[in-house]
Amino acid sequence: MSEPNIMEPQQAEGEIIPAFAEAPVGFVLGTVTAVLSSVGTLWIGFLMALIVADVIGRNFFNAPITGVAEVAGHSVVAIVFLQTAAAIMQGRLTRADFLFRRIADRSPRSGAALESLFCLVGTLVFGLVAYASWDKMVAAFMRSEFFGVQGVFTVPTWPFRAIIVGGSIIAALAALYRAIHRNPLPTGQVE
Amino acid sequence: QESITVNIGSSHPEQNIWVYAMKNTFQPTVDKILAEKGEYQVEWAEAYGGTLYKYTDTREAVQDGIVDVGMVGTVWEGSTMPLQNVTYFTPFATADHKMLIEIFDELNASQPDLVKSWDSSNMVPLSSLITDSYDVYATFPVNEMKDLQNRRLNAPGTSANWLQGTGATPVDGALTTYYTNIQTGVTEGTLSFASGILPTRVYEVAPELTRVGIGSMYFGSIAANKDFFDGLPEPVQEAFREAGKATSKAHGDYVSKLAEKAMTDMQAAGLKVHDLPDDQKAAWVKGLPDIVQPWLDQTGDAGKAVLSSYFAALRERGATPLRNWDEGR
Amino acid sequence: MTSLEIGFLLIGLLVGLVLFGMHIAYALLGVAFLGIWLIRGNIDLSLRMLELTAYSGISDYLFATIPLFVLMGLLVSVSNVGRDTFEVAEVLLKRVLCGLGVATVAANTVFAAVTGVSIASAAVFTRVAVPEMTRHGYKASFSAGTVAGSSVLGMLIPPSLLLIIYGVLAEVSIGGMFIAGIVPGVMLALGFVVMLMALAALAPGFVFSDPEAARSRRMDANAGPHLTPGEILLKLVPIILLIILVLGGLYTGFFTPTEAGGVGAFGALLIAIGRRSLDRRKLWQVMKQTGTVSVSILLLLIAASFYSRMLSIAGLPNAIQSLVVDSGFGHWGFVLLYVALVFLMGMILDSTSILLIVVPIAAPIAQGLGFDLFHFGIITVLAVEIGLLTPPFGISVFTVHNTLNDPGTSVEAIFLATMPFILVMLIVLGIVIVAPQTATLFLG
Ligand code: NA
Ligand code: NA
Repeated sequence: MSEPNIMEPQQAEGEIIPAFAEAPVGFVLGTVTAVLSSVGTLWIGFLMALIVADVIGRNFFNAPITGVAEVAGHSVVAIVFLQTAAAIMQGRLTRADFLFRRIADRSPRSGAALESLFCLVGTLVFGLVAYASWDKMVAAFMRSEFFGVQGVFTVPTWPFRAIIVGGSIIAALAALYRAIHRNPLPTGQVE
Repeated sequence: QESITVNIGSSHPEQNIWVYAMKNTFQPTVDKILAEKGEYQVEWAEAYGGTLYKYTDTREAVQDGIVDVGMVGTVWEGSTMPLQNVTYFTPFATADHKMLIEIFDELNASQPDLVKSWDSSNMVPLSSLITDSYDVYATFPVNEMKDLQNRRLNAPGTSANWLQGTGATPVDGALTTYYTNIQTGVTEGTLSFASGILPTRVYEVAPELTRVGIGSMYFGSIAANKDFFDGLPEPVQEAFREAGKATSKAHGDYVSKLAEKAMTDMQAAGLKVHDLPDDQKAAWVKGLPDIVQPWLDQTGDAGKAVLSSYFAALRERGATPLRNWDEGR
Repeated sequence: MTSLEIGFLLIGLLVGLVLFGMHIAYALLGVAFLGIWLIRGNIDLSLRMLELTAYSGISDYLFATIPLFVLMGLLVSVSNVGRDTFEVAEVLLKRVLCGLGVATVAANTVFAAVTGVSIASAAVFTRVAVPEMTRHGYKASFSAGTVAGSSVLGMLIPPSLLLIIYGVLAEVSIGGMFIAGIVPGVMLALGFVVMLMALAALAPGFVFSDPEAARSRRMDANAGPHLTPGEILLKLVPIILLIILVLGGLYTGFFTPTEAGGVGAFGALLIAIGRRSLDRRKLWQVMKQTGTVSVSILLLLIAASFYSRMLSIAGLPNAIQSLVVDSGFGHWGFVLLYVALVFLMGMILDSTSILLIVVPIAAPIAQGLGFDLFHFGIITVLAVEIGLLTPPFGISVFTVHNTLNDPGTSVEAIFLATMPFILVMLIVLGIVIVAPQTATLFLG
């Protein structure tokens, strides 16, 4: 192995976004999820920088950054819900497929039906997350809710709640898309 | 005899000072009162210890009916229930935690803005919760204010405000992180209270206690979901209210007992106790910027009214706050 | 039907769905939603709990360490630090029976001192060790199994995410937990080595696709890479620097265990840049992959936490607690039952969820029965770690399988190959249970 394989990311196949002319829905969903997940990716870098800056500030300049713990905690929410849809689109959610593959091998039709059913459950649960989080998002915006301490530092919570709602809606759509366009199946074989 | 199921829970375990009286006084008292009449009986469905929700969600849990009765830490609700946090923005007011319980049992029931705040959050406060007085637990004694210069102390949330003007740097944390933070030198001490320090054994790594008397703080209340409470039969509501009063008393006694035991145990384990001289303490208080102003900016007229009622209640009971935070507002 | 019965039925439903291949996050979320609805007879409550879990259930500084530890692992991988460590081990252990297997364990042990999540080790060494092992006559499934099996060291040797989470839940010092993990971690590594050599000697068919090739390579002094002592030292400098940065920084109070992930990732970034193994394009690839790997873990955490809240509403934790207390199990009965329970949960749940479910219930009971909480923590983490390797849900095995992306190596084959590792873990677990000193030796 001369070159570490990180150059060939394992999700390469899943990441290819179809051309608009071929599959307009796939193109739009693929693009949106890719953009969201890029923002989430940048956020991870920001998180690292924040923690390092806090450690350096505290140890060398007696100037820790206030609220790192809370900001980092809320960042996790953003990172997850920005990237979930992309993970679904690429078929990267964790699952145990040993039995499923046997079924799909024996009867591709049952396998496909089962797969669609599972993906629809995904649509349902992310739809529920979005629905359940909507009111709180609106309330957080209207009442200017924040985390932190008045007079020390405050960060509004509505953007995080909006990311949950928005991310979940896109995730639900991505799961729906996967329910219709079932390939690649977990093993990588095409229907 | 009619049986009523009550979901009761908390983000903290049963041994915790704010939860202890729920399980050990509130529940048995309700049972006892109802048993005397024999009309109703409560089936408790317990979810203590954060199995249902985290400490950041104590308000939402009761407000949304995830539990019917729960410990609500308004200290974590600076955004949605800021009025209740008046004590954290007015330090050095009183170190008498039993007085604070009494004051807030009263204010929560009679001060119009506080009543409205609980009501609009769909909750009925039953019993007030507090901390014992905050002091400095550190690797060094504080004999004069300049001993705090360039020190790093764990002071999470609002307590970070109390270090303004002292030259010390506040570092975030929680009771559970102080030990490791101090042991490894991330911080050199913490602002905390005896009953919290004892179970986490922070005194092992921070063996110098300087009694400053930053004061007791109102932490939150044991509260019932309002929809649930309004739906209860009158005798059960009455039992809840009575049990709430008993819980307040038990909570105060428990904190006293624990704080006392903490001091004995910790000193036996080698904790050295110092008292910050009065002139130095005065310098600390005087050096604090106007930390209540940002809170007043947030809370407006309601904040002013709560601040004034709180300080009136303090003075009525003979307390002399070291700084008159309510003056000229 | 009582809520307890509903609770048990729903556990059955979950196991069924997961076995049939439903995405685990979907299954946990769906079953839990249904469960709360059924038990409390109120769909609104399900919705509110779901919202609460999605937002504040996951917004915790602790969970922020997951992407950072993953990022560190991948950066270390791209900067070839993992490969260099492996190569040095390979050279030094060339003459040893099952040398490449032992080298994988050795490299994992060293690597464990800088990474806090097992899947980081699993991902790194899948890329580095598996191709090298298969090239030299080892079975692909055995190679993958060795990587998955030895990846558990990442969680036992500090820094470790699981030890942090246990420390928080049981309210014991995290620094202390880290110290407690050292001896059992080393025991585990040695146990793996002994087991690998025994297997190679006694059951070569399990280990090698081509035993002769492996044997001749072992005997041939010229085979494999050659390194002078100087080169070996040079190759080890980066990992040693990282260990000094992460562990040194931790124990001198430069930063907290939770911050170690961020600082370590930054250190790994500097090393990668310093070695010129990272251009902008590659950095972006690494970052993206960090996102993909972490989001699937974090999503599982949300789902598992929602599920465990449903179990709590069903009253399961309380029921188990009274069961244990009423049954009058002593010290030994309790710990055996506990380990068995964690083992079973490990089959279907991820490590963090198990800790979230069992530790708050079990730690007070254990303390009451006279267990030292550090000792109990190591027992817990060891038992939980076995779950990383057990089917149907074994995340280390999945990680290796995903990273390998080789249709010829099935998940089952990797699961089978990790069985000897599970056996060693059970033995070490037994020793740790019987001898608390293994955990408490270096604690004050
Ligand atoms: Na580690
Ligand atoms: Na497992």
